[in-house]
Amino acid sequence: MKRINYIVKITFAVVALLAVTACHDLLDEPAENRAFTEETDYSNSGNMILPLIGAYAEFYSRGWEDFPLIAVRGDDVNAGGQGDQQDYAETDKFNYNKDYWMYNSVWQNLYLDIFFCHSAIEQVELYRAAGGNSAKADQYIAEAKTLRAFMLLNLSRAWGSILIPSGSDPSVLLVTQLSTKDEVMKHISDQMDEAIPFLPDMNPNQRTDIKGGVTKHTALAIKAMANLELKNYAAVAQATSQIISSGKFTLEPNFYELFKIKGKLNSENLLELQYSDLGQGSGTNFSYLYAFFGSENWTPKVTGAGSGWGFFEPSMKYIKFMLDRGETVRLETSVLFTNRGITEIKKDAKYASLPAWVSNTTRSGDRINDYARAMFASGKHYLPSDQLTPGRTDYGTNKNLTCIRYAEVLLMHAEALTQGASGTGMTADQAVNAVRNRAGLQALTGVTNAQVMDEKFAELAMEWGIRYYDMIRLGKYNELSYDGRTFSENKSFLPYPQTQIDLLPVLKGNN
Amino acid sequence: MRKLILLFFLSLLVTTLTAQEKVGISGKVIDNTGLGLPGVSILEKGTVNGTVTDVNGNYSLQVSRQSTLVFSFIGFLTQEIPVGSKTTIDIEMAESIVGLDEVIVVGYGKMVVKDLTSSISTIKAEELVKSPSGQAMQALQGKVAGLQVVSSGAPGDAPTIRVRGIGSYPGRDNEAPLYVVDGMFYDNIDFLNTADISSISVLKDASAAAIYGVRAANGVVLIETKSGGYEQKAEISYDGYFGTQVAQNVLKMANAEQFTTMANESGSAADAGFILNSMQKYGRSRINPNVPDVNTDWYNEILRPAAIHNHSVNITGGSKQASYAIGTNYFAQEGILDMKNEYQRFNLRSKIDYKATDWLTVGGNVIFSNALKYNDEAGAWNQAYFAVPIMPVYDESNTKAWPEPWANAQDLGYRGGQNPFPTLKYNENQLKIKKLLANFYAQFEILPDKLSFKTTYSHAFTSLDERNVNLPYYIGDGFQRPDATLTKRMSNTSNQIWDNVLTYNDRLDNHSFTVMAGQSYRDEAYHGLSAQGIDFPYDQEQAWYIDQAGTVPPTGVLNDGLRQYGISYFGRLSYNYNDRYLLYATMRADGSSKYQQKWGYFPTIGVGWVISEERFMENIKGLDYLKLRANWGQLGNDKIQASDGASTTTVVNTVFDGVMVAGTTTTSTYSSLKWELTEETNIGLTSRLFDNRLSADIDYYIRDTKNAAIYVRIPSTTSSVLKNVGVIRNSGFELTLNWANEISEDFSYNVGLNLSTLKNEVRDLYGQPYIDGGMAEFRQRSMVGEPLLAFFGYKVLGVYQNQSEINSDPSAPAGAVPGDLKYQDQQEQGEPGYGVINDDDRVVLGSYFPTFMYGFNIGISWKDFDFSANMSGQNGNSILNRKRGEIIWTAGENMDADLAVNRWHGEGTSNKYPSSAGLRKGWNQKMSDYFVEDGSFFRIQNLQLAYNIRDKKISAFNIPESRIILTAERPLTLFKYNGFNPEVANGIDTQTYPVPAVYTVGLSIKF
Repeated sequence: MKRINYIVKITFAVVALLAVTACHDLLDEPAENRAFTEETDYSNSGNMILPLIGAYAEFYSRGWEDFPLIAVRGDDVNAGGQGDQQDYAETDKFNYNKDYWMYNSVWQNLYLDIFFCHSAIEQVELYRAAGGNSAKADQYIAEAKTLRAFMLLNLSRAWGSILIPSGSDPSVLLVTQLSTKDEVMKHISDQMDEAIPFLPDMNPNQRTDIKGGVTKHTALAIKAMANLELKNYAAVAQATSQIISSGKFTLEPNFYELFKIKGKLNSENLLELQYSDLGQGSGTNFSYLYAFFGSENWTPKVTGAGSGWGFFEPSMKYIKFMLDRGETVRLETSVLFTNRGITEIKKDAKYASLPAWVSNTTRSGDRINDYARAMFASGKHYLPSDQLTPGRTDYGTNKNLTCIRYAEVLLMHAEALTQGASGTGMTADQAVNAVRNRAGLQALTGVTNAQVMDEKFAELAMEWGIRYYDMIRLGKYNELSYDGRTFSENKSFLPYPQTQIDLLPVLKGNN
Repeated sequence: MRKLILLFFLSLLVTTLTAQEKVGISGKVIDNTGLGLPGVSILEKGTVNGTVTDVNGNYSLQVSRQSTLVFSFIGFLTQEIPVGSKTTIDIEMAESIVGLDEVIVVGYGKMVVKDLTSSISTIKAEELVKSPSGQAMQALQGKVAGLQVVSSGAPGDAPTIRVRGIGSYPGRDNEAPLYVVDGMFYDNIDFLNTADISSISVLKDASAAAIYGVRAANGVVLIETKSGGYEQKAEISYDGYFGTQVAQNVLKMANAEQFTTMANESGSAADAGFILNSMQKYGRSRINPNVPDVNTDWYNEILRPAAIHNHSVNITGGSKQASYAIGTNYFAQEGILDMKNEYQRFNLRSKIDYKATDWLTVGGNVIFSNALKYNDEAGAWNQAYFAVPIMPVYDESNTKAWPEPWANAQDLGYRGGQNPFPTLKYNENQLKIKKLLANFYAQFEILPDKLSFKTTYSHAFTSLDERNVNLPYYIGDGFQRPDATLTKRMSNTSNQIWDNVLTYNDRLDNHSFTVMAGQSYRDEAYHGLSAQGIDFPYDQEQAWYIDQAGTVPPTGVLNDGLRQYGISYFGRLSYNYNDRYLLYATMRADGSSKYQQKWGYFPTIGVGWVISEERFMENIKGLDYLKLRANWGQLGNDKIQASDGASTTTVVNTVFDGVMVAGTTTTSTYSSLKWELTEETNIGLTSRLFDNRLSADIDYYIRDTKNAAIYVRIPSTTSSVLKNVGVIRNSGFELTLNWANEISEDFSYNVGLNLSTLKNEVRDLYGQPYIDGGMAEFRQRSMVGEPLLAFFGYKVLGVYQNQSEINSDPSAPAGAVPGDLKYQDQQEQGEPGYGVINDDDRVVLGSYFPTFMYGFNIGISWKDFDFSANMSGQNGNSILNRKRGEIIWTAGENMDADLAVNRWHGEGTSNKYPSSAGLRKGWNQKMSDYFVEDGSFFRIQNLQLAYNIRDKKISAFNIPESRIILTAERPLTLFKYNGFNPEVANGIDTQTYPVPAVYTVGLSIKF
């Protein structure tokens, strides 16, 4: 009996011990809820577009600080940063602080999306290798290259010499040398040459697979912008001529509405950041933070519509420049006036009487009240409260942000021609007058380069710092020394963010 | 004459009888929890006449009246009581510190304290219940050398626990020790009722913890729940308390007048304008007409006194074959934040052991915990800090506001609405927590008293049911929430462990040893599902369901899961030669499905030498016991996430022409991760002196974490990647002293002291000079030779007092004005970089790890009263005052009064704080020791006074044994830091829930 008892006990112990040992292969189970890249079925070529859509998604989801920092330094706009975001206001005055969070954040946001473009290119190549449609792969890669180029362009315009990544692994930057701004622009131009043959030849709004996506003309425009920075005016004219000659772009007749809902996927746009509330009054919403630009205090036509923060103020210099020119719709569209601002303009005897249309109520019926931070707000970043989808209250919800539009292409064309380049499609006079005509201004003949630059100022103010980078490129530093600011050439570029200097020794000593 | 002689002899006989008369004495010996103490030896002093108590603590003995009885028991203070005319002597034995013969739990078994070669601290039930808290670990604050407890004031939140510093890069919930509750692994023990715990053992060194292998690197805390006792009469007990919590050390904020001064001196016309707006809206103060007639103390508005109470009923006992403990507990705590913020917990438990046969014992232990928690809206603390005092709580003129007319700072011109009340009133965060621990075992005695086999199956099941509701409100156009949103999240975690352990112990002459071998199978599964609904009928709580929502955004639906397996083999050898030489070794092999590398091996070895047993020590007076211990061991930390170990693809959404489409992004930044390896050497002394009245334990340890996984920032992106790239060392010295003495039967006392030092140091970063952490604006840097995540920035020399001081300082920046901070130029004249303040001038400013922690306790027992006091504190740590730092993003909001009052506002006014205008300049906003403050504190942790009622009668009724207790928990904390609370777990004070003082009245009754 005792013996049996003993055997039972031993048997139980042994069985228990063996049972556990039998579970060994469970250690090789992969983790749950994770799509491993190596498990992606690249032979499913219908999915080849997914990495590209991902790149667009990252490109559209811009940090709110990206645009303000890129755009604030020109004489068209002021920071309005009184009492808040002091270093943003200091940046507007060309006093740079490399420790300021916004510098690092914008740097990172742009680079991160560049890496996502690289990653999309690499993924598409894997689909191609597994039998995906090669022509489609070429096109998708070309699109990702174009998005990448736009971000590189903005990085280099802001910081000058930068690092050009060569792959999706950011650690490549550790072994990358700095490229000068000229080298970056050359690189962009070359990249666009590579991309152009594979891109669809149409207006972005004609695309069916990715409506509003990149086309051949987007790449041409970026090529023109890069060559403009290089002062390679022949290359500029050559690119702009192709866009103009294609006949696929037209100026939106209603300048005011171009920056509202009507401007979404407008035939004038070559590249835009797309947002949408999906037509629903609540729920999922893809949006840019326009509140940053909005007036801090308003009485919206539609009660309940949210106001903004007041951080992007059209400059008095710009307003007076526009008044001097007898501008109407462009000034009205670009600037939201407060009563305090109007009084301030009138203090200058020259502007004691203003045109009757200058008012603190927009043509859409929103009243802009006085607020402490600024006297004016940016009209191009304003969406009238009656254009909000009912139920939505955040400032500017459902509005797209245009990156490149046909008017800029026309004016770059005119600029290149007046700098001596030759082009086709339009003469400098035709290009400038097309823009002036829409603005309700008289046609010019024998347009000069100076007139083109004024036209750019009037037409493109508050857009992507175009004015600032024009003045830097042309060395017109005295234009930037306005309203008490003193600009000098060594202020052209932002200092590298301290965080990046800490991470990338190659940046050290180059600030 | 014969009568006389007879009388003489009789009287002689009587005298003799009186002298020699043996009387029967009986009684009961109990410990301080009231339980009968078996095995206590009772000796008639100076004779060999004696006895020992039975299993219930009862004894009886024939002794002479003149004699004195000596009660002694190892681990308790010896007591001497004269017999006199007594026939019953009941005594309560006081524990003499931790007895050397006491048996304590170690991993997968038990050991006698004197056989230990490692550092283990055990805290008993009666210490734990002193703290009126829902969290058992809170009671350990200041009581265990080398253990840091950072309390949390939020109801239901567990404190942060660190055993011997921090060896793993923080911030990923991977610093917590492993909790083993009756054999089951937990990340925290927030569900346990403190009174159900019989003991908590902290396995501090690697040697003690190594038996838990890959889970043990952050220290192991073993929790044993209370059991019944065999052959014990049923005991029914009630324990409870109720009390109130009061916010302590509330930070004084600038009042309306101070704030107005700051705004007017700021140089910002906008901010000065906002003051005027406030005066227009709310009038001018009659005392100072330049100050608005509003002075809101926002902290005062959002704080409230909060109730706390706790009730437990337990029945314990046992027969010859079975023992049982069955109990229930209800704990409720309100939060001190004025919103729906509370915690309630209802627990049931039962623990039964049954000797089925002489060779088989089976047992089952079930704990069910059902808690309801309403989490605070942490953002409200922040809002109350920054809300301007020149705005009232309510603004009746805000007629458009709905549902209540809260004041809106935007009406004064500020960018944000600031008022914290919409946050408090229109949010509700409900969390239902249900936890079940089921634990069953069968133990076979294969060779009686020698070889046994125990198989244990444990299952820990957790269900979390979370409902966060955000209700709509309208305060202003820019301060509104148009939609009611509802987020529900449900998850369950099901963890199973099956242990099989074979134990053999034997003794051959002077050699005694225990050999244990075992294996363990672990299965951990988690599953979560959440969804969001917008626009639901929110007036009635019954409609708070996703089904009722008008919109259910697809991006709000989330589902995730986790499944991990582990298989382990382990063994232990414990050897004792003649109670003089000790050897201890364990080995664990851990297999895990988590990493590419599947197996890890974790060995340890320890030796002990009981010097006091040596012959040459025999004549040393006062030294009862002295043991020298040394050990070495390796541990693993598998809380390092596995996900970075593979390139992953994520689905992202965007819109083309107003239509949502999905795409994918692929992250190519990955590295192959493995667990962290911790290696520790510990040497120590255990001693008992002066008739066991004094115990002294000393330890010194060096603990290195190798392969420390650190987030390496990826250049030029917002992300970072985890890599095993560090060696982190924690080293320290620990001292624990306890003195206990009994002056008389009525009066005894004990005094305890513990001290520990900690040096945290990064030893190697695999070739990199440093790894940055924290935020760019508030840099924390891990550098070789410095503590992990040290605060890193500029050293402030003072404040520029006048222009000539600026002119004479070569390092002063262009545009500096008096009232700006003056930073130290780290380069000497002639060196490159001299004469300019740049990033090369940044230095380590401090670390958030305390370098010195201490605790002190005193206990006094006099007649039916007992009193205890615990004090604790820490030194050497720094806190980043991020609330002040917030000014770099949003200037113009409120600040603490110390800053407002002591700002620079003219020559000689301050050499510490910049001027009001200076605070807004980028130059003064650099990370510097202006933001980094001393985090030392001293605290009276706990005061407790109790009155015991024993053997009392009211007329004919026996009053049950009772105890009435008054407790003050954390009544006083002293510190210099300009914040609410010096207990900031990660050293970055953005918003911490204040830790309140708690005052309670308690009652314990035993039937």
